[in-house]
Amino acid sequence: MKNAEHESSHVETTGHVWDGDLQEYDNPIPGWWLWTFYATVIFAIVYWVIYPTWPVGSSYTKGMFNDITFHNDKGEAVTTHWNMRALFLKDQQEGKQALKRQEYLEKIGNSSFAEIISDPEKLAFARSMSKVLFADNCAACHGSGAAGVIGLFPNLIDDDWLWGGKIENIHQTLLHGRQGFMPSFTNSFDPEQLDALAEYVLSLSGISGGDSHKVAEGEQIFKGETGGCYYCHGKDGKGLLSQGSANLTDSIWTMANVPGSDDYSAKLEAVKQVILNGISRKMPAWSDRLSDEQIKMLTVYVHQMGGGR
Amino acid sequence: MAGVAPLTNQQYNYEVIRKFAIAALVWAVLGMFTGVYIASELAFPFLNFDTPYITFGRLRPVHTTGVIFGFGGNALFATSYFVVQRTCQARLPSDRLANFTFYGWNLAIFLGVISYMAGYTQSREYAEFEWPIDILIAVVWVTYFWLYLQTLRRRSQPHIYVANWFYMAFILATALLHIFNNLAMPVSFFGLKSYSLFSGVQDAMTQWWYGHNAVGFFLTAAFLGMMYYFVPKQAGRPVYSYRLSIIHFWALIFLYMWVGTHHLHWTAIPDWTSSLAATFSILLLMPSWGGMINGIMTLSGAWDKLRSDPIMLFLITALSFYGMSTFEGPMMALKSVNSLSHYTDWTVGHVHSGALGWVAMVSFGSFYHMIPRLYNTTIFSKKLIYVHFFLATIGIILYITAMWVSGIGQGLMLRAFDDYGNLAYTFVESVAFMHWPLVTRALGGVFFLSGVIIMVFNVYMTIVTAKREATVKAAESEVARAV
Repeated sequence: MKNAEHESSHVETTGHVWDGDLQEYDNPIPGWWLWTFYATVIFAIVYWVIYPTWPVGSSYTKGMFNDITFHNDKGEAVTTHWNMRALFLKDQQEGKQALKRQEYLEKIGNSSFAEIISDPEKLAFARSMSKVLFADNCAACHGSGAAGVIGLFPNLIDDDWLWGGKIENIHQTLLHGRQGFMPSFTNSFDPEQLDALAEYVLSLSGISGGDSHKVAEGEQIFKGETGGCYYCHGKDGKGLLSQGSANLTDSIWTMANVPGSDDYSAKLEAVKQVILNGISRKMPAWSDRLSDEQIKMLTVYVHQMGGGR
Repeated sequence: MAGVAPLTNQQYNYEVIRKFAIAALVWAVLGMFTGVYIASELAFPFLNFDTPYITFGRLRPVHTTGVIFGFGGNALFATSYFVVQRTCQARLPSDRLANFTFYGWNLAIFLGVISYMAGYTQSREYAEFEWPIDILIAVVWVTYFWLYLQTLRRRSQPHIYVANWFYMAFILATALLHIFNNLAMPVSFFGLKSYSLFSGVQDAMTQWWYGHNAVGFFLTAAFLGMMYYFVPKQAGRPVYSYRLSIIHFWALIFLYMWVGTHHLHWTAIPDWTSSLAATFSILLLMPSWGGMINGIMTLSGAWDKLRSDPIMLFLITALSFYGMSTFEGPMMALKSVNSLSHYTDWTVGHVHSGALGWVAMVSFGSFYHMIPRLYNTTIFSKKLIYVHFFLATIGIILYITAMWVSGIGQGLMLRAFDDYGNLAYTFVESVAFMHWPLVTRALGGVFFLSGVIIMVFNVYMTIVTAKREATVKAAESEVARAV
């Protein structure tokens, strides 16, 4: 250990030796280490004086010079010691961004749908807020581009609506949710009847297998008591708004993946699966999760996605 | 130079240390490979292949368990048995019980990994093992404690070397943490499912009391024990300051227990618990740095060793990353910084600058020192140690920088407002932004893993050469006797 002796000639080791050559110098603690440690102690003590920190019995020290004033539900000013809840409420009530937002939100609250749509400023605000609202709440099912998923979640950017695409329909859907239901017809038809019915459904959208007899037979089932399909889809197959039943004549498919099936038999199979399995899907209600203004803006946002008709 | 210890296998139980060292390397490869894979899953989600057993959610605890308890745990068993025997000049009191700790510990980790992939978890971070495995771990740990304590009591040295204080604190605290955090009621005697004894805020605070002290005692105190033996040994110099080691030991041990709640800032916890954790985290800065200063100052005066000794490079780099991450930690524990960093990759980067930079690097350095001595030979290739060092360092730097970009970037995006006072970005936009940092992170992991694979090759060749030499020597003495 020549190096060691040379460099620390005046520093002794503690005199203990382990495992042949393990020793310890008796160097003092570096001053800067000690002073920085004291500085962190002072920081901590100042922090403890200002903020709630130490438990005392069943309570805790409340801190000093840290009061926060916010407004409770009744609009009364409440002053309290520093706490997360008060800080949050104050920020929501008086924060710079919150005040900006509040100004617009009031305008939105006092406007009709028509006024929002016709005023570029209100519309821009509604879009700005709805973009995040949609992505954080709606996109999980309907997709970030709102194109939905065939068989699961409806597409919102075409102009086809199961529950109506007018502003008031969409508003209703968002507020209260929807329950999409079609019974399963597993035991209702024999294989030929099922074939015929599916051929008829395809023919409504102009897709033909070339067997007009089958189509005619399917039409009987659809419009007669054997299938009873017309109860919900109507004699013309155009669906009923009150039921949320699909229009079968517009070549738009939300459940059976007809466009994605290559040949006629695959398309037929896709339709048959829907008839056999039925449909049960749910759009949740948002009235208890989003504010009235937020739902109002989302309504406009979704309405415009479908072309705004 | 008083009392040079003889290095015979009869005097010390090296056999169990060899087993632990090899197991540590096996788990390192498995655990880090899993890490690279799940990092790739985050960058390219198709890698989940719609197979439940290998989805991120199930593989993530496989990774953490594999690297913390498999690699880290086995490395700590190996080095602590090495250090305690050599610094006490005493053999472990029981070979059978030492072997039990080896098989019990590794069985527990193996069962844990299998059960996670099958979907069984307590959902307690870093303590996902279900109750039967927890019981096995507790038994192994108590045995470990007893063996360690008995070896200390049998020491032929008047004083206990500083490394042993740290190992002992780690063993004691881990027992305490493991047992209390895992208090649970099994649903049935033959089922794996159980429910924690705690609920709500108490549950969260118990979990993070455990979670942070797993970092504090398992990944910090214990590896400081490793550092306190292998750094002065490899540098061939005395520890810089005995006084500093005492002060920072007690300060570290005392302060760490208070800070776990900083993992729960801005949640439904009482405000005072949050402030207390934040301030104790700041108080923890200097006690943590005490270990770094003592380690780095031990080398001062022998800096030239960095030019010629790749093991020293590992040890000093480890201490530097230790210093960096123990500075970053208290900063992130402040509520204002935490509001940006929490729930982002910044946390992940911070953990890995500690885990890769400190824990893994100090273990690699110590292993390169220890393994040749266990087999009474020299390392197969010094050049490969250099290669390992540079691959590991590049890997860590890629990893940490990617996570800073990803984490701070996402944090800023999530708090950005547009001109109307609305949030400027959606959550999914911040996820899309993270793609390239996540790719870079996975690449960093690949670098780090390839370094480990080179180490495994180097160690394998060292052991093979040692065995061949031993056979040759035995044959020679046979011949000599015959003549």
